[in-house]
Amino acid sequence: MATAAAEFPSVGGLSLRRRIFAYLGWTLCALAFLLLSGAMIWILSMVFLRGLSALSLGILTHTTEGTGGGLLNAIEGSLLLAFVGILFAAPLGLAAGIYLAEYDTGALAPTIRFFNDVMVGLPSIVVGYFGYVTMVSTLGWNFSLLAGSIALAIIALPYICRTSEMAIRQVPRSMREAAFALGASDSRVALSICVPIAMPGVLTGILLALAIAIGETAPLIYTAGWTDYLWTGHFTKEPVAYLTYVIWAFISEPFDSAHALAYAAAFFVTLFVLIIGVLSRLALDENAGWKNWAKRGAKHK
Amino acid sequence: MLLFGRTLSFPSRRLFLAGAVFALTLALGGLVGTSWAAGDVNILETGSSLVYPLFNLWVPDYTGAHSDVKITTQSTGSGTGISQASEGLAQIGTSDAYMADALLKQHPDMLNIPLCISSQMVNYNVPNLNSSHLKLSGPVLAGIYQGKITKWDDPQIAALNKGVALPDHEIIPVHRSDGSGDTFIFTQYLAFSTPDWSNSLSYGTTISWPAISGELGAQGNQGMITAIQGNPYSIAYIGTSYMDSIDKDGLGTSMLQNKDGKFVLPTPKTAAAAAGVMVPKTPADERVSLIFAPGPDSYPIINYEYAIVNSKQPSADMANALRDFLTWAISPSGGNASKFLAQVHFSPLPASVVKLSAAQIAKIQ
Amino acid sequence: MSTTVSTLPDSGPSAPFLARLQKRLFTFRSFTALLGLMLAGILVMIVVFLCIYAWPAVRLNGWGFVIKSNWNLGSLYANPITSHGQQILPGAEYGILFLIVGTLLSTLIALLIAVPVGVGAALFLAEAVPAMMRTWLSFLVELLAAIPSVVYGLWGYVVVIPFLGHYVFPLMTKYLGFIPFFSGPAGSGYGLLTSGLVLALMIVPLITATLRDALLTLSSTLREGAVALGASRFEALWTVMLPSVRRVLIGSCILATGRALGETMAVLMVSGNALNYLPNNIYSPISTMAAFIVSQLDSALQDPTGMAIRSISEVALVLCVISVIVNSLARLLLYYAGRQTSVVV
Repeated sequence: MATAAAEFPSVGGLSLRRRIFAYLGWTLCALAFLLLSGAMIWILSMVFLRGLSALSLGILTHTTEGTGGGLLNAIEGSLLLAFVGILFAAPLGLAAGIYLAEYDTGALAPTIRFFNDVMVGLPSIVVGYFGYVTMVSTLGWNFSLLAGSIALAIIALPYICRTSEMAIRQVPRSMREAAFALGASDSRVALSICVPIAMPGVLTGILLALAIAIGETAPLIYTAGWTDYLWTGHFTKEPVAYLTYVIWAFISEPFDSAHALAYAAAFFVTLFVLIIGVLSRLALDENAGWKNWAKRGAKHK
Repeated sequence: MLLFGRTLSFPSRRLFLAGAVFALTLALGGLVGTSWAAGDVNILETGSSLVYPLFNLWVPDYTGAHSDVKITTQSTGSGTGISQASEGLAQIGTSDAYMADALLKQHPDMLNIPLCISSQMVNYNVPNLNSSHLKLSGPVLAGIYQGKITKWDDPQIAALNKGVALPDHEIIPVHRSDGSGDTFIFTQYLAFSTPDWSNSLSYGTTISWPAISGELGAQGNQGMITAIQGNPYSIAYIGTSYMDSIDKDGLGTSMLQNKDGKFVLPTPKTAAAAAGVMVPKTPADERVSLIFAPGPDSYPIINYEYAIVNSKQPSADMANALRDFLTWAISPSGGNASKFLAQVHFSPLPASVVKLSAAQIAKIQ
Repeated sequence: MSTTVSTLPDSGPSAPFLARLQKRLFTFRSFTALLGLMLAGILVMIVVFLCIYAWPAVRLNGWGFVIKSNWNLGSLYANPITSHGQQILPGAEYGILFLIVGTLLSTLIALLIAVPVGVGAALFLAEAVPAMMRTWLSFLVELLAAIPSVVYGLWGYVVVIPFLGHYVFPLMTKYLGFIPFFSGPAGSGYGLLTSGLVLALMIVPLITATLRDALLTLSSTLREGAVALGASRFEALWTVMLPSVRRVLIGSCILATGRALGETMAVLMVSGNALNYLPNNIYSPISTMAAFIVSQLDSALQDPTGMAIRSISEVALVLCVISVIVNSLARLLLYYAGRQTSVVV
């Protein structure tokens, strides 16, 4: 539009004190950013270099045996726990997100939103401890897939709720009003119109929750346990393996095979999180183009 | 949504989603299906980090011969072994410590079954002195862990090590922060040899270690090794199953003063001497301490390695599998063979104890 | 034509009460409202459960729980005695002051490092970077938040602790030893400062992302006003734009505090697991509440009286309450500032 970016006076024309202030300020800001990027690169390089050198085909085809072997059981277990957890969390989170986006009048929606946002910050060990006492001990499920995935679901739920609420909010009002004008009911507007249009945002939220679930350790230590074998199909009374346990427990063993497994597990987990991060960024960028949807749709005509 | 540069229409999106879900289910099902062999028994062994290396030697051998049994090993500390076995979360809880009376009263069906005899070293990392075995005694160690003896050249240590040039440096005591059978046997040694310790701190898998500045807490025997490796002038108590790691890293093993006042190293001979004296005192439930044995050659810190098992198992299959495995473990041709025990510097069970253990194993139903 | 069964209307004033209630109750709106309430109910359930389960320990320990620094399970191999009407092991005492101090100090150090660095990086990303690169450079910083806590612990344990313990800390004690708390034994690398550093890395993206978004969506009139008065770019940022997003900054800092308080695995692997003593300098080992629960839960299960496990649950309760209070404050502040946080946060 008319307002171009404001033209700042060149720093050269300012007094010495103000010039120093400006240069110093930008240098410090750049340093801060470099510090963070440097730390990020340090971590990634350690994980990838050591992880790649520890990888072998055997890691993907064997299960763990004591302090050596492979990671097949851990990879399968991590995926199972995360997917089953998301299976529990996604419908509930989506429904809550729909409510918060569509029915934001009155006091109930802000209250639920507040509770939801507070839940995001709940320490994961508290959820894990809660899961241990209720599901593992009192209900007698012992270390099990169900206990672990429910704990993960509780942790992922607030993320899914918030991201789906924000995604559904983005759907233009005109779509809803058109649907209502055609006689659609509340549920049809929400489920057949809003959710499909908001699907990229909702899926991004679910992917994000998946990444968080794969990376969690503390809640799973006391709900999922550990096993050296693949899942036996039992939802209760049989422990499940997961990658983050390997990272935590095997790095302190004085055996090189254990260290290799720990690095490999860290490699897989970080790679997974990275891929999801990139994917969701791509989707979000796509989504940002939503604001141009009308123009784009017009162009295709 | 865009995929490979083409905007997908709603029907093709649904097809894509359905296809993706189907493929994922197939993949997961295929992965999972490989282990849904009916009748496989899944045994979880958790607990003592002292016996962990031995179980890692046993399991591939045993499961190789018995393909319908799956055994998972975990090193979590004896305290965890006892509690998870009592709660039914693990089938075998390994522990260097037997269960306490109060705990047994709460869980009366638990069995404490010795599998072998292990021992414990006191290791240190003092530059230039790691290859000469420093002499230490129970009262001196108690003083170190209470903060009364703070430097390596303390007169009490010097009195035991005449002629050794001790450095003038703070001692960094390392103890176990998790519930540990190693802590149990170490504190029993301190309690039995030092009345002062026995009255104040007593023994247990977890005790309230007196706060000393610079003191470190480590998780597992492995954590203890890492701790003294990284900290010169530190001292720690570590099980003999890690003797090879200690020697490889060039760390020191001390000679401990036994009840008769002699200084001994942890060797099969000294362990056997101690066992010879203490084993006859083993009661039927096999909960007994072998610490601070009398005898000139006895090593003061030896113990039974217990498998804490519930005598009432949920299924006959599990009970049979456990009985078979444990019977194999205590037999001199199976788990107690020297090819396994020599690698971890343990001693086999004497024949009388094998009989007692077998009697307890028979109770698992 | 005329029907034999008269059909009553199911809505409107002439409808029967039950039919009206049914129509109002089983709507899509109330269904989703119910599911939303279930979500909120989970948080309430957790807090209430912890309160109920920890109540015997709360009664036994009283205020000493947060004032004393003595976590003692008692003589595990002795018989239980009765004290204050509860069965406990002789010598058992539960005081977690060292945990509270460890948690608060490590969070404080993390904030002291994270806030300047986070603000600087946000300023850099919002103003000094061309729009095309902004997404991916911001991604680099936000990735710090996405990396799992246990991978941070691994990096800290394997790489950072040897580096700090052998090189940095001895240098610091030599040259910075005159500052209180910076002197004294340099320790082994495990400790308060290391935990603070790792925590800082984990919470910086929270501050940076929120602040960057807030700066980007500020109205241009502020900036134009500063230009009109002759401010340089940095001066405009520092004196005009940053103060206007003050509330967002404070809100995100409080949010970051909440995250740091609850961090478990990374701290567990780098903090040194101190027991019953307070740190006397910044290199000293510490213990935090979250890490303590993980490492002591199994030991506590050995107590036949069950009081230890209830005291652990009391620790979890204290942690939960602190976290809920801090997060509530942050959210209220952010709502008041009118800023919804970004997706990643």
